[in-house]
Amino acid sequence: MLTWMAVALSADLQHAMSMPCCLDGNDLAIWRSASGQAFVWGDRCPHRGMRLSQGFVRGEKLSCIYHGWQYGSDGGCVSIPAHPDLVPPKSICAKTYQCVEANGLIWTTLIETTDAPPPVHLSTPVRTLHVDSAIGDVAAYFGSPDATLIHLDNPRLITLALHPVNGTSTAIHALTGDPDGRKEVSRWLEIQRANVERAAA
Amino acid sequence: MTSNALNYWYPVAMCSGINAPRDTLLLDEAITLGRDGPSYWVRDASGKFLPTVVRYGHLWTSLGQPNRELFTIPEAEAPDRRLVDCGSVKVKCSPLRAVENFLDIAHFPFVHTDILGAEPHTEVARYDVEIREDVNEVWATRVKFYQPQAAQSADGGITTDYMYRVAAPTVAVLYKTCPPRPGEWDVITLFVQPLNEEWCEVWPWMALYDDTTLHAELVSFQQMIFMQDRSILENQIPRKLPLDPGMEAPTQADMTSIAYRRWLKKIGYTYGAQVVAA
Repeated sequence: MLTWMAVALSADLQHAMSMPCCLDGNDLAIWRSASGQAFVWGDRCPHRGMRLSQGFVRGEKLSCIYHGWQYGSDGGCVSIPAHPDLVPPKSICAKTYQCVEANGLIWTTLIETTDAPPPVHLSTPVRTLHVDSAIGDVAAYFGSPDATLIHLDNPRLITLALHPVNGTSTAIHALTGDPDGRKEVSRWLEIQRANVERAAA
Repeated sequence: MTSNALNYWYPVAMCSGINAPRDTLLLDEAITLGRDGPSYWVRDASGKFLPTVVRYGHLWTSLGQPNRELFTIPEAEAPDRRLVDCGSVKVKCSPLRAVENFLDIAHFPFVHTDILGAEPHTEVARYDVEIREDVNEVWATRVKFYQPQAAQSADGGITTDYMYRVAAPTVAVLYKTCPPRPGEWDVITLFVQPLNEEWCEVWPWMALYDDTTLHAELVSFQQMIFMQDRSILENQIPRKLPLDPGMEAPTQADMTSIAYRRWLKKIGYTYGAQVVAA
């Protein structure tokens, strides 16, 4: 199984926001605190199973939209509004994953690791794009030996960080070295997507 | 999964809305319903007529042998009550999740913000819950909650008293403070038609003391509340209601839901429930 995978462009996750992501069939909530730290958690409040990606951020805590339960940076529940005087038991905890933010990407891993995410040298975010093809087919289309990180020189420098959404769908997070080339790279990507999907069909 | 569920009564239509024959689903089975003059009928896919009851504005049927009479709401029979058909909302969730959400008050400040609840009034005081063995129902009583606008007819914030009653696995009734008539209860029900285990049609219905609010206003208030609930119900994982402890973490405010789940388990009602294989 793969370790570090990019799950979002940093630029797409604003401060005090939470958003959903599906990584290899696992529902995740990616959120950023008011001070700017990014987190990747399981997309499920332990109370009633509500998606935490629909929650709201207050300061450095993520609140579930259903009953307002608040979770701190370690995933532990710190507040249950229905019982303001109660100190929540330590056992109530959101599922947390390792998260690193580097070079314009938010990285996570489903398996614990002591390694660091792979280096990326480009820093201009282009966009995230979903392809209806398995990650292996996408990597093969670009002739890349690495399924999750693809470096291209077409002639613009482009880095594509891939993550499997599930067995048949892939997300591509694109970065470029040329701040003026974003629109062009975006259009080029859409053509590649059509080609990949056609090749697989 | 369905064998036990077959023998209950379920709502399948609002009587005032039946103009022509209509196809729908009940417990994964295709059924057709309609009316001939004053009489209503429901048939299964093979054309067999199913038993029917018309009560509380809705047409009820069963795919099996109903093991008891359809419940009654004696309060709703008072002649000066206003009976309000509200239409329906289809929700992509287990019918049991829809009922459980209806029994929950702790979500009011967060889901029905500034209507049925508002921060900082989030505390849920202890209330009483029991499974009434004689009638085989779940009851929660002495429930209290602060509400900025408890009903269309409410004028400003009040502490509302509630009673909750689960009259059948997919039928819940709530009794709440009636602002224009102190001492009486407004009755609001949630009749849930299980289309399948992860999809339901919810038919709210009300019996109120309210002579002034327009019907359209009453219905749009209820529709607004249920739209807000739907945004929650379609985003719970899993879609089915987990009956075994461990999957979800309840607190004291969830005593009604704990009793509801325990009762479903006791009566063996697992349609729409997630039960960990033994």
